[in-house]
Amino acid sequence: MTNEVAKFILNTYRPNGADAQDPTFRAALEQAASDPDLAAWFKEERSFDSLVAAKLTEIQAPPNLYSAILAGMETRSPIRRFTIGPILALAAVVVLSGIILLPMYMEHQSRTALISQYQKANLTMLSSPTWPQLDLVTTDFSRTQEYLAHMKAPCIPHLPGALLDLPTVGCKAFYWNNRQLSLTCFRLPSGDLLHVFVIDEYTFRSTNIEDTFREMDGWHVKFERRDGMLLMFVSRAPMAEIKEYV
Amino acid sequence: MNLEAVAGRFYASLYRFALSLTKNEVEAGDLTQQTFFILAQRSHQIRDTSKVKCWLFTTLRREFLRTLRVQSNHPHVEFRPEIHDAPSLSVDALRALDAKTVLEALTQIEPTYRTAVELFYLSEMSYKEIAESLEIPIGTVMSRLSRGKEQLKAILSAAISEISAKIIPLRTDEQAAR
Repeated sequence: MTNEVAKFILNTYRPNGADAQDPTFRAALEQAASDPDLAAWFKEERSFDSLVAAKLTEIQAPPNLYSAILAGMETRSPIRRFTIGPILALAAVVVLSGIILLPMYMEHQSRTALISQYQKANLTMLSSPTWPQLDLVTTDFSRTQEYLAHMKAPCIPHLPGALLDLPTVGCKAFYWNNRQLSLTCFRLPSGDLLHVFVIDEYTFRSTNIEDTFREMDGWHVKFERRDGMLLMFVSRAPMAEIKEYV
Repeated sequence: MNLEAVAGRFYASLYRFALSLTKNEVEAGDLTQQTFFILAQRSHQIRDTSKVKCWLFTTLRREFLRTLRVQSNHPHVEFRPEIHDAPSLSVDALRALDAKTVLEALTQIEPTYRTAVELFYLSEMSYKEIAESLEIPIGTVMSRLSRGKEQLKAILSAAISEISAKIIPLRTDEQAAR
């Protein structure tokens, strides 16, 4: 992880230290503990955040507000009760369930279709004869993530240690369905490539995604949700080799 | 749910958040009261009490947007490009500013980034809670906080410079030597 990426993550670290146990910050905090420049930046950032939060806390609510709130809650409207008979109520429940559940079912179906479109789009791109058209060609993983962070594209969160030892081929930031995503390519010892697509998990929220390797059009494909991101690992390398790294 | 305890715990921070949105003490008080009134009506719908803080801030913001009738009462504040680059900010100088100036600086952040920063400082919400409240992806929250805080520093830095320029020394060192 580069210092730029660490700063990007640590920017959201709350000044009261409430995020100390959040795994999202672990790697960045460890880096801040070992890098003096990052440590100095983080110290300054926390001082700034604490001071701003403290300054804002100095603003007092009007003295009578609390009692006014309690009085307001006392006079709340009673919740309306059904006055129709039990059979009518049951019929209403059935109709309402249909109205509510049908769109939910449709949405779920549409999200499932979306993930399959996403997968297909990525594999088509990888299979294209003109591929790869990478934005940045480098063997240095940290440079790829620095570039992606600069492009405001999703970075790979918490890369497994084994994968970190691999050289990269390069990376690319691009869009699919108006969502920004990134691609980072690694070179495996056999010479085969391992591609990692990263997109914000929100795009596929509430979608059940299997996190095991599957075979698709000659590619080994695996999805993994990690820290708010959806990672898609793709490779043509033998499964045994891929599993050493993913 | 013990509504009185919830009100006691969150009313002050909600009021500050309302004040940053409305920029008006009376409206902020009304908005805070209205939020708790809605809570009292719908408290039976909130099953996970650990999320009540997030619910309150989200509801207050929604109520604010709903009651936002006259655009001219809430002028759009454009971010000044000349102060876009965040300079290094002296913590001592910042300490000298009053709370009102800091709150005003918060309201000058570009609207896209502003709410995430307000929730970060005023509600002490985590980035995940902010994402949930604003219904945006976590990555977007991180990005908005990063840019928003950069802007806040630039605005505060400009405020500090402005205040420093207004300070007129009673007498110069030269006069004192005489």
